Amino acid sequence: MGITRKFFSRWQNWLGLIIVFAFVISAIFAPLLSPKALETQENVVQSYLRVPQPPGPGAPLGTLPDQSSVYHALIWGTRDALKFGVGVTAFILLFGTLIGTLAAFLGGRVNTLLMWATDMFLAFPVIAGVVFFNQLNNTMLFNLINTTEYAGYSIEAIERFGLLESLTPLLSPFLRLNPAAIAFILFMWMPYARVMNASVMRLKQVDFVLAARTSGVKKSRVIFRHLIPNAIAPVLVMAAKDVGALVVLQTTFSFIGLGHSTPWATALLSGRDWIFSPKGIVTYWWVFVPVTVALIMFGIGWNLLGDGLIEAMNPRSTEN
Amino acid sequence: MISTNQSMSILRRFSFSILRSVLTLLLITSALYATVMLTPPETLASLYMPKRTSPRMTEEMYEQLLQDMVEKYHLDDPFPVQYYYWAGNLLKGNWGYSPNLQEDVFPGLVRRAPATLELTFYAILIYFPLGLLSGVLAGTRKKGVIDRLFRSIAFVATSLTPMILAIMMMVIFYITLRWFAPGRLGTAFAPLITAEGYISYTGFVTIDGLLNNNPELSLDALRHLAMPALTLAFAQWAILGRITRATVIEENEKEYIIAGRARGLRERTLAFRYALGNAAAPVLTHSILSAASLMTNVFVVEIIFNYPGLSTVGVKSLAFIPDAPSAMGFAIYSTVLVLILTTLLDFLKVVIDPRLRESA
Repeated sequence: MGITRKFFSRWQNWLGLIIVFAFVISAIFAPLLSPKALETQENVVQSYLRVPQPPGPGAPLGTLPDQSSVYHALIWGTRDALKFGVGVTAFILLFGTLIGTLAAFLGGRVNTLLMWATDMFLAFPVIAGVVFFNQLNNTMLFNLINTTEYAGYSIEAIERFGLLESLTPLLSPFLRLNPAAIAFILFMWMPYARVMNASVMRLKQVDFVLAARTSGVKKSRVIFRHLIPNAIAPVLVMAAKDVGALVVLQTTFSFIGLGHSTPWATALLSGRDWIFSPKGIVTYWWVFVPVTVALIMFGIGWNLLGDGLIEAMNPRSTEN
Repeated sequence: MISTNQSMSILRRFSFSILRSVLTLLLITSALYATVMLTPPETLASLYMPKRTSPRMTEEMYEQLLQDMVEKYHLDDPFPVQYYYWAGNLLKGNWGYSPNLQEDVFPGLVRRAPATLELTFYAILIYFPLGLLSGVLAGTRKKGVIDRLFRSIAFVATSLTPMILAIMMMVIFYITLRWFAPGRLGTAFAPLITAEGYISYTGFVTIDGLLNNNPELSLDALRHLAMPALTLAFAQWAILGRITRATVIEENEKEYIIAGRARGLRERTLAFRYALGNAAAPVLTHSILSAASLMTNVFVVEIIFNYPGLSTVGVKSLAFIPDAPSAMGFAIYSTVLVLILTTLLDFLKVVIDPRLRESA
């Protein structure tokens, strides 16, 4: 059975595909599904009460305490989630693959040393990385404000645009980066490097690679044409699973106040006080349930996809 | 059971493991310091900044202080020199002053560590045996009832991330049932651990309460520990159980199991002594490699349940005042904890698996 046929023969894989596809669709068509831009979404239900309003016209899934629509946050949140998940995973994949492959290709002491370093980075908890980069971000922001000499002067700076413009170019690109993204990219490539390293080490001894090398093909060509394409499958599976896992982790961090906020995490956070009241979760279910279900589904969808790929590519699993 | 020759090789492996931990710490701290070096010198100087003595410090005095700092700690020098002096200060216990915590970073971390360790300890106590047990049970009867049950529960556990699990725990056990509570101690008991006459033997309130003849204190601590420990354990249990299951399935296909079965050994002996005995080392290896993610989960759970452990340092460092020392201290201290955990697990691995003793 071919890999494709095997993949499509299991219902779990279909489910995974459908879930992921649904998220992609709602991300692409977010402006159609929930037309108003996020900024103008305040007060969908006219009410001065800071009480979440139940589902009704204008807000199909009710509102959060600040009277913004849950449905809106849900739909537009998929954009952030996909952007973050796919983007960060792509970087992690790139780093891990390159380091793992290079180490294995160079072999010998270099390989031992690089893989040692890889293992060492595994001892660093990623939450500490997020705190650390968040801190650097804060420091830079603080310095930026400092250099504009506090309130009076900074108003002057904002009014006279050129002043602030001239101060920021060095700092602003960094300030715009999400600390969670930086930390994930820098401290989560290790498993990829390990897996890639192991499979390239095995592949290096295979005849066609040896033939390519002895016939004088350029090293970079051997790496990019022969080694990486033939060894990347398991790493791609890891990446598929990680897209979901990273978004879930980022939402968690965002929920506890680390890194940039995302629509999903903000929705959970602002609804928290309404869940944590007697019968709150029954009465005000809409502040908690839709976003939670979306988050869980996001994780499950990518996970099923990854598991399905593993199963489909494993030649030993023939049952089902 | 263990000969002198073997104990020598255990010792050698143990010291090798410690050496590797030290090297790891060197690598990570130098990477962190190099990153901080990219920021303006004020940040660097803040790593050494003492407690502001005078609130009326003028701009000039501050500038002078910065200059002194730069000179005193070689902050204008190239990386290796700077790192050398900074690391030397770390070893002396001078981790800087945190304006957000309003105390020195190192004592602050040491004071909070027992709470984190207590939580981690209880979580491990719950999930390690359960994970191994359910992994073996599910693995030996692949596709049986237990296996299906295990796999579906584990699937739920990994899908409901610690955050969602924690929220649900709060709603069910704290808000509705009022069995457990967040935090570390109730208001009636919190003053007790700072009161006179209370001796902190272990730093674990649950144990210290008993040692101080105050079982009610222990009970209250347990009541507060239950939710975070269970949340953590549930999430980690699923991961450990899955790994154990996969390894046991792999072991079950090997010939010694078939031979044992042919000789009429009981299935239970085969599963728990033979298969698990051989699966233990790979499972522990996986635990070693994922020790850092366990630590991350511990901190996440701490923060959500408002449990006053080490994570407080990390979170508070992000209040508005820039606070490089505490963020740095948090990162280094948690790395040290991970390294201690990995060394212990590595040691355990050698004790359990005789094959690792002989080859060294």
